Amino acid sequence: MKIKSYSKVLSALAISSLLLAACSNDTEKSSTKEKKGKDVEQVDTSKFPTKTTNQGEPIEGGHLTYGLVSDTPFEGILNKVFYQGEPDNQVITFFDEDLLDTDENYVYTNEGAASYEISDDHKTVTLTIKDNVNWHDGKPVTGADLEYAYLVMGSKDYKGVRYDEQMALIEGMEEYHEGKADKISGIKVDGKKITFTFKKANPSVTTGLWTYPLHKEYLKDVPIADLESSDKIRKNPIGFGPFKVKKIVQGEAVEFEANKDYYRGEPKLDSVTLKVVNPSVVVKSLENGDLDVAEVLAEQYEQAKELDNVELLGKVELAYTYIGFNFGHYDKEKEENVMDENPKFGDKRLRQAMAYAINNEEVGEKMFKGLRFPANSVITPNFKYNNKDLKAYEYNPEKAKELLDEAGFVDTNNDGIREDADGKEFKINFASMSGSDVSEPLARYYIQQWEQVGLDVELQDGRLHEFNSFYDLLKKDNDKVDIYQAAWGVASDPDPSGIWSRSAEFNYTRWVSEKNDELLAKGISEEAFDDQYRIDTYNEWQELIHEEVPVIPTLFRYQLAGVNERVTGYDYLAGRQYQWHNVGVTK
Amino acid sequence: MWKFILRRLLVMIPQLFLLSIIVFMMAKAMPGDALSGQEINPRANPAELDRIREELGLNDPWYQQYIRWASNAVQGDFGVSYTHKTPVMDVIEDRLWNTVFLALVTLIFTYMLAIPLGILSGRYNDTWVDKTVTGYSYLGFGTPIFIFALIMLFVFGFALDWFPSGGSVDSKVDEGTFAYVVSKINHLILPALSTALIATTSTIQYLRNEIIDNKIKDFVRTARSKGVPESKVYSRHILRNSFLPIAAFLGYEITGLIGGAVIIETIFSYPGLGQLFLSSVSLRDFSVVTAIVMMTGFATLLGTLLSDIILSAVDPRIRIE
Repeated sequence: MKIKSYSKVLSALAISSLLLAACSNDTEKSSTKEKKGKDVEQVDTSKFPTKTTNQGEPIEGGHLTYGLVSDTPFEGILNKVFYQGEPDNQVITFFDEDLLDTDENYVYTNEGAASYEISDDHKTVTLTIKDNVNWHDGKPVTGADLEYAYLVMGSKDYKGVRYDEQMALIEGMEEYHEGKADKISGIKVDGKKITFTFKKANPSVTTGLWTYPLHKEYLKDVPIADLESSDKIRKNPIGFGPFKVKKIVQGEAVEFEANKDYYRGEPKLDSVTLKVVNPSVVVKSLENGDLDVAEVLAEQYEQAKELDNVELLGKVELAYTYIGFNFGHYDKEKEENVMDENPKFGDKRLRQAMAYAINNEEVGEKMFKGLRFPANSVITPNFKYNNKDLKAYEYNPEKAKELLDEAGFVDTNNDGIREDADGKEFKINFASMSGSDVSEPLARYYIQQWEQVGLDVELQDGRLHEFNSFYDLLKKDNDKVDIYQAAWGVASDPDPSGIWSRSAEFNYTRWVSEKNDELLAKGISEEAFDDQYRIDTYNEWQELIHEEVPVIPTLFRYQLAGVNERVTGYDYLAGRQYQWHNVGVTK
Repeated sequence: MWKFILRRLLVMIPQLFLLSIIVFMMAKAMPGDALSGQEINPRANPAELDRIREELGLNDPWYQQYIRWASNAVQGDFGVSYTHKTPVMDVIEDRLWNTVFLALVTLIFTYMLAIPLGILSGRYNDTWVDKTVTGYSYLGFGTPIFIFALIMLFVFGFALDWFPSGGSVDSKVDEGTFAYVVSKINHLILPALSTALIATTSTIQYLRNEIIDNKIKDFVRTARSKGVPESKVYSRHILRNSFLPIAAFLGYEITGLIGGAVIIETIFSYPGLGQLFLSSVSLRDFSVVTAIVMMTGFATLLGTLLSDIILSAVDPRIRIE
């Protein structure tokens, strides 16, 4: 059950990166009636509304109860620099925020607490914090506060994992990180202004720059190593968001009161209670009004749909499931991926055939009740960078057989199973993760479908693997794994280098190609500050992946929130999901 | 007596030592660590992750880690939880009291149910009263606790709305007030009752069988033939003897409750030790896992000692040398 939170941690992280996610809790159940026989190629991302429909006037002194759906308590590290689990992040969103707001494409806007400007050579970014942005104790939020966040994350005493490669691109950051300098030379502060100078231009700054400040005045007395365990972070956190923390019941609940001084205007609610609810009781709690807003997991979708007093909002999650082929190994010395000379799946017709052989439309409809749908690419469809012209590999067993015949994979000894091009026995080991009720039937289903086109696929070790063991298998480049099913949670930056580049340790397929290197580099080059250029580059890259099929993208997924009908102004869409000052209640 | 207790306490040291080695090795044998499952951030330099691992000492061989851990543990320092970022003992302390209260209330409910029902069914064995009670016990044996707890939750927590459906306290009341105590108790009743209704069945059966056994013993027959009234026969002779094994079981019962609250705590979103243990295992928070196992191990050893002491105290036939 816990695995769910991994993928959640990942998709909700503010930093721009691609993150590891696990396939998670979904239950297999009967088929759904709706949208049968729909066109495979059409990616429908608007199956659910994203906004509440209640247009009523919010009442004075309203109170809202937010359900934090988790089977474990939140850890209570209430700061984005330090928190570890997604539950803590959800608490933080009520009382604190990043300085820059994002639009629905996760690109920074000037609507938030600060505005930004990029210099002509694209190497310098200047943030100007708005005048009325103040911490809850009345002190103004300044550039020094944001600088302090960088000083903390770059420090040797910092034990979190937020120091990333983009930060290292700031001038002087590495020197500071290695302890050779006391300051970061590329960061200049002037009151409410802060300027970052990068060693080289990278368009990812428009989606992935760290803009979450630390209240320096308040925190400077605490040594950096002790910050994460200090009461100032855990018990009396101060932010500049729409609500103030009034009281924390450790691990269970938080009481918030409105921050009347909020820079975007006074919140429409007087107070908010956030409490942890077990996934098994979410629907019941929504039904009887104990909760006003809560995430609804896929296994409760059918029940939640029936509730009269609850509106279901949905959006496409930043994640995709895929089936990957094993091409080689990771060379630790050279720090790059190396493909075998003769990989087992070297023939792309074989890989394409395996993609044509499986019916993901049916998997999404029947096993996931329509909450998952065929993936056309490895860039999720909620980005403008998703190549809308690409079609997912459609279920076509005849085509699969044709391709296999062409590639020389034919059945030479008439046992119903194809031998490889040299006439030798051809067995495929398939590794897949456990974790939900549907994991096993899903893996079996794929195996069955491959068998129908004459391929002999077996589950690795005859069983599914637990999350940690599974990734251990992949990391060790276990030669026994031929193909595997896994998922990636991706974050706000479209740059796929983190899991696709030649040097990426997380490139578990170990697939490399010069064209791939070239396109990935183009996607983060200075020219890519021109959006159309970047879109074109990523379109081309996705075509390459589609043609070469180093992985078969299988499914995209919806995530859902249940919202009581008395709630108004709630928008589930990315970038607006946490604008709690807009939310009110009408009863 | 004191010698006996002292000896038992001394024997605990090698026992705990062995337990700690086993637990530590098993924890380390789990694939992954606190950094691997939680946040593999492909943008972060792998070197950066390695630096953190190095700093936390996760790259050292297990025996070095063990020695480091053990020498601190002896001094009561179980290290820092990577997930919670605070000393392990602080994390545990927060949860421990919740679990202890839950265990206590559960124990009270268990005996409140077991004693009268056990006596009734033992005294009037093979009547319809006994058959009803026995029927209930069998049902209790056969019902999985996680299903039963969910049913209780839906009936009393949601349908009837008599009790809160999760948590350990209402976040709106202030600590230290009377309302706070009431709210705490109110949150305890449903999980405690759910466990007790199931856990009580074995105790009922023990008691019933003891009473039936004792009813035909010679000393009871003697008492009857002396003309002791029936009610006195029961209260003086039969019950006293029948309670012996139940009392002896108390120690085990307590440790069982502390260690076995995983399911109940998860269902009722009750932040206790069981829930903490489960999440720490899946997040590979080794320091918390080992500390909890050591604590429950220690509690079990103490519980058995307690049981032996109680037994010798209530049963004059047993003398501890």
